[in-house]
Amino acid sequence: MLVKNVTNQTGTREEVIMAVKHIKSNDVEAAASVTDKLSLIDFSAAWCGPCKMLTPVLEKVSDDLDEKVSFYHLDVDESPEASSKFGIRGVPTMIVFHNGEEIDRMVGFRDRNALQTQLESLADSKLV
Amino acid sequence: MDLKTGLVGSGSTESRELDLVIAGGGPAALAAALYAARYDIDHIVLESYQPGGQAALTAVIENYPGIKTITGGDIVTAMKEQAESWGAVFEMASVLSAEPLKDKIQIKADSSTYMARNLIIATGAAPAKLGVPGEEKFYGRGVSYCATCDAPFFRDARVLVVGGGDSAVKEALHLSDFVSELVIVHRRDKFRAEPYLADKLLSCGNCNVMWNTTLKEIKGDESVKGVILNTPEGEKEMKFDGIFMYVGRKPATEPFANLIELNDNGTVRTHNIVHTSRENVFAAGDVTDNDLRQIVTAVSDGARAASAVFDKLQ
Repeated sequence: MLVKNVTNQTGTREEVIMAVKHIKSNDVEAAASVTDKLSLIDFSAAWCGPCKMLTPVLEKVSDDLDEKVSFYHLDVDESPEASSKFGIRGVPTMIVFHNGEEIDRMVGFRDRNALQTQLESLADSKLV
Repeated sequence: MDLKTGLVGSGSTESRELDLVIAGGGPAALAAALYAARYDIDHIVLESYQPGGQAALTAVIENYPGIKTITGGDIVTAMKEQAESWGAVFEMASVLSAEPLKDKIQIKADSSTYMARNLIIATGAAPAKLGVPGEEKFYGRGVSYCATCDAPFFRDARVLVVGGGDSAVKEALHLSDFVSELVIVHRRDKFRAEPYLADKLLSCGNCNVMWNTTLKEIKGDESVKGVILNTPEGEKEMKFDGIFMYVGRKPATEPFANLIELNDNGTVRTHNIVHTSRENVFAAGDVTDNDLRQIVTAVSDGARAASAVFDKLQ
């Protein structure tokens, strides 16, 4: 988990645990190669409405599935190499990896229930 | 009932009693939430399906009175902030089922169970699928239902748009700013879109229209490479990098099928605009069978539905 120092609404500094870690193209291989958990990389963009709406869903699901799935966020404009490598032609696209292999790809918004159910099913089939 | 929490029962059977549950997250639900909050109705909004609804996926809105131009994302964000400023309560949850239980509605969501005296269904509609070969396989790999989301991936590409209504033409115009060439196919010989939009598309420099034409198949390998079209002259194979579909909408009414009467196309059967076959269930926005499906009509429906609930509670 990433701990970030932010200013809250009352102006005081506080530490916030960011369950979804921001990565760039160079970090993708390491992020995807985890073996004891699944890795989900959310390919999204700042100009994409559904991507913004997916952010709180990912935060919630990452809290619930912290032990089974690592969550990453990648900005397609900031990291065009990774977007091109994985053939991203729409955002948000969530790719789930295990041990370096793509095991699932979800395109478009998913609500909390749908995303959590899908990830739990993948975790049950891939993690011993 | 626990007076502090409003919870009824114990353990896993606990449910929360409320005067109103609003299901949905688009303009109809947001307007209902604003009015419910201002009427001081004890309520919760379950943002099932897509937060912001289809409106959030619209690139530019130019027909909402009082606002010359705004993005779909910005207008729904403003609506939600306004509703929250009046005390509207939102929860990110999907409605799984809704059943009548005595004089209330039992609403099971993935987060909790609610016993509501009234329900407003404003769950909207999702883009309909055409069901042609290749559509599912290439979704996210060249097939898209959202130009606002995906147009930048098709810079200088050749794209096909399928449809002839407001959404198809509006999104085609948005795409035309990015792509090298755009072809729009429509099964009829003229657009259903409003004339202003249709004229704008017909005069667009990099756009071509194929009338009386339908999409038969999408072809490709790792991504979309082309299509087979049914044209008045017979089948025609053409190369494209992307396919954008706007062929109607599928109402999100499955959880409510045992609760109220639905039409054959899945929309909620309404009378007096927002009333349904059950007196304590109302419907608003794209989920209904009302003719005009616009943000301006959705917010009107939402306001009417919340007002009807307020009147009932008096």
